[in-house]
Amino acid sequence: MTESLETYYGLPAEVRFCTRCVMSNQRPASYPEFKHKKDRKAPTLHIDGDGVCDACRYAERKEQIDWQAREVELHRLLDRYRRSDGGYDCICPGSGGKDSVYAAHLLKYKYGMHPLTVTWPPILYTDYGLANFRRWIEQGGFDNVSFKPNGRVQRLLARLSIENLLHPFQTFILGQKNVAPKIALKYKIPLIFYGESEAEYGNPIAETNSSLRDKSYYSMQHLNEVYLAGVSVPELMDKYSIELNDLTPYFPADYKELEEGQIEVHYLGYYKKWTPQEAYYYAVEHVGFQARPFRSEGTYSKYNSIDDKIDDLHYYTTYCKFGLGRASYDASQEIRNRHLTRDEGVALVNKFDGEFPQRYFQEVMDYIEMKPERFVALCDQARSPHLWKRAGDSWQLRHRLS
Amino acid sequence: MNIRIIPRLDIKGPNLVKGIHFEGLRVLGKPENFARHYFEQGADELIYMDAVASLYGRNSLAAIVERTSREIFIPLSVGGGLRSVDDIRAVLRAGADKVSLNTAAVARPELIREASRAFGSSTIVVSIEAIRRKDGTYEAYTDYGRQASGRNAVEWAVQAVELGAGELVVTSIDCEGTAHGYDLALTKLVAELVPVPVIASGGAGTAAHVCEVVRDGCADAVSLASLLHYNRIRHAGDAGDDFASEGNIEFLKGGATYSRTEDVSLRDIKRALQASGIDCRYEAVS
Amino acid sequence: MSASGRSSAHVAIVDYGLGNLFSVAQACRAVGLGSTITNDRPTIEHADAVILPGVGAFGDAMQTLRRLDLIGVLRDTPARGIPLIGICLGVQLLMTESQEFGRHQGLGLIDGEVIRLDQPQEQGRRLKVPQVGWNRIHPSGGGTERWSGTPLDGLHDGEFMYFVHSFVVVPEDQSVVSSTTTYGDVEFCSSVSSGRIFACQFHPERSGQRGLGVYTNLRQLVEAGAEERRTSA
Repeated sequence: MTESLETYYGLPAEVRFCTRCVMSNQRPASYPEFKHKKDRKAPTLHIDGDGVCDACRYAERKEQIDWQAREVELHRLLDRYRRSDGGYDCICPGSGGKDSVYAAHLLKYKYGMHPLTVTWPPILYTDYGLANFRRWIEQGGFDNVSFKPNGRVQRLLARLSIENLLHPFQTFILGQKNVAPKIALKYKIPLIFYGESEAEYGNPIAETNSSLRDKSYYSMQHLNEVYLAGVSVPELMDKYSIELNDLTPYFPADYKELEEGQIEVHYLGYYKKWTPQEAYYYAVEHVGFQARPFRSEGTYSKYNSIDDKIDDLHYYTTYCKFGLGRASYDASQEIRNRHLTRDEGVALVNKFDGEFPQRYFQEVMDYIEMKPERFVALCDQARSPHLWKRAGDSWQLRHRLS
Repeated sequence: MNIRIIPRLDIKGPNLVKGIHFEGLRVLGKPENFARHYFEQGADELIYMDAVASLYGRNSLAAIVERTSREIFIPLSVGGGLRSVDDIRAVLRAGADKVSLNTAAVARPELIREASRAFGSSTIVVSIEAIRRKDGTYEAYTDYGRQASGRNAVEWAVQAVELGAGELVVTSIDCEGTAHGYDLALTKLVAELVPVPVIASGGAGTAAHVCEVVRDGCADAVSLASLLHYNRIRHAGDAGDDFASEGNIEFLKGGATYSRTEDVSLRDIKRALQASGIDCRYEAVS
Repeated sequence: MSASGRSSAHVAIVDYGLGNLFSVAQACRAVGLGSTITNDRPTIEHADAVILPGVGAFGDAMQTLRRLDLIGVLRDTPARGIPLIGICLGVQLLMTESQEFGRHQGLGLIDGEVIRLDQPQEQGRRLKVPQVGWNRIHPSGGGTERWSGTPLDGLHDGEFMYFVHSFVVVPEDQSVVSSTTTYGDVEFCSSVSSGRIFACQFHPERSGQRGLGVYTNLRQLVEAGAEERRTSA
């Protein structure tokens, strides 16, 4: 049966799974979120001739890296920036999740830096997520700048990003990725540290040979590059009667300003071998981080991305759009870190992927003032025909992970 | 009455693992080596839990149970993914003395009655893993801390005993792996309500915590994991070579230690119990 | 722990559906004593010793033994000069009768009854029943000479053994009591020894190295008995 099925989002027509992890070639690679337009055709995860995806290749190379040498590089970098005059010498963005706890704590207590933590809060905080944030700051001992955006605008953008892109998480991603460089400019702190590099997830290998985050992710040259919720800035202002000022929190920093300020964004994961599970243990040990008291819907884990109620919904949309749910992401990461065998990953994905996030669903719908039926209809519309077929009342993936 | 000290080994495939709040499955080494070490140190019993049985729908401990029962002659309880009387029979045949039930018992409480009729109450242990709710009551969880059952943990404990459970293990998921101490309130609530022995579990970080849960938590026996495992890793010379390549082995490779647990051995803990007036099987000269 | 060679003697471990047969078999194996788990009458009759283990209810056990037609062979065993070893429920089954869930007849090899552990207390606190755990055994009559030539030979006064039970035996004749144990404020008979009969309330096969020593003694006694029968045959 060789009917040619339509593919949405420019996804590859044939679904292929990595032979090592459980990711498929339908996974979109990272790209600057602020350029996300409705009809974009983003590059997807590359799987090579041997059936191995870029993220797994990167993991392979991680085993070959001379971490001692990287440690020396890190010391050199930090020595250049470390201040003893009472000022901040680096920024650690985050919201109190295990990775930001690990990064900030390490930089301060092991490497003697003076980080300022910078937080773009979750759209809808979970109570244990908020408790973890407090622990980070209060028990970890860090100064923190939190930028809370205009609630009405955030709500509007959240709804629009779901309507237009079926991307519940976009406003958070935009805010989180852009706030740190802008704070860096304002406070004149030229060094920013994120945790894991994007390469861990399979972005083009070319990017991964440097500790630096590519500037294209967090800077703009001109406002007409910017699309929020898939809508251009002028159209947003015009259609929804909001001002430029209301939208600036979501814009990336200006490219020229960053150049002049000599702001550098590094991945700590380039210098330190990043094991997510060990980041969890570290966070518990040092600030009393607590995992979610129940399994995240759609997966088996309890400690990844647990501070935003919208996050659970986000993974459901990736399932609809790309056929990849939360378990796929979690299991792939753990397989690459050798915590799971591929067989275990397959069992977990087949057991949990695509589980509907019922727990916070109504609350999210109430927040964005959308009817549940509308959301379900949007999900259905977003399912690419080459991935999904109708089976009676429900949908079935055409492919099954094995 | 002599308090029992029972090391608990969470096992995933070939490895001994240890999480926090039952999450994260850091590899700590080979379970057989830890079991032997604890036996030599005077452990009163052992508990083996298959940490991923519910996740993968299987209990795969038969092989290690067989090996253990050949050389270690103290009672062995085995749990994780046991769903039916047949599953239980298989594990007892492999050499286990007792079995521990949780997920399957919550799903179908009659299983407890059937199992205790078939094998005797003293063979059937029900494991209750609880998280404290905001209102101060405790909720029972299944699937290795992943699924809320909606049941009040203490009421469920009473019911389990009525159905034939010969012993209960009561674990605080909030405390487990944290080394902050046991949940004394939870332990005491259950211990005072049921007529069968209650084994306290979850949270030991010091020898004093162990004494505390007996004195103030009214526990009849005490289960320990992190406190004992991390102590052995600190001191056992061969522990470094001790792991398969599967699983989260970064901790072992890094040669780190877990800073939160007191550096005490099983023998030290028993000595501390005796010193504080709590009887246990302990001889000053071995 | 490993035996000095395998014994030529062979014991039968009675399988009546209850109890930790495998651990008993493992303990025998560990000390080099051959064993078969069986409920076949001829096999039991030809064994050099018979071990009656068990965990569970007295009434059910007797019913099953009756159904398997093993009562006769068990009763005959000591009379034929073959050692009969009872463990846990096994010691209780030797008695005349038990009060567990009604009144049940036992094998009647030792006069006495089986009664429930009665509300043991310690420092004002009620202790749990069943007793699950380690407790000390003391030779009855004072000295460890009492244990000489029995499976408890060589153990210390106050040796720890592992117990799991809600009922205890009360022999009529005190002289058969081999050891006593105290749980809270209740002192009870923890093992009996009389002629070819030895039975204990505790589980030597679960009592660590010292418990294994009981099996080593057993092996020696069984071998000696088998040798005796061979030479006198």
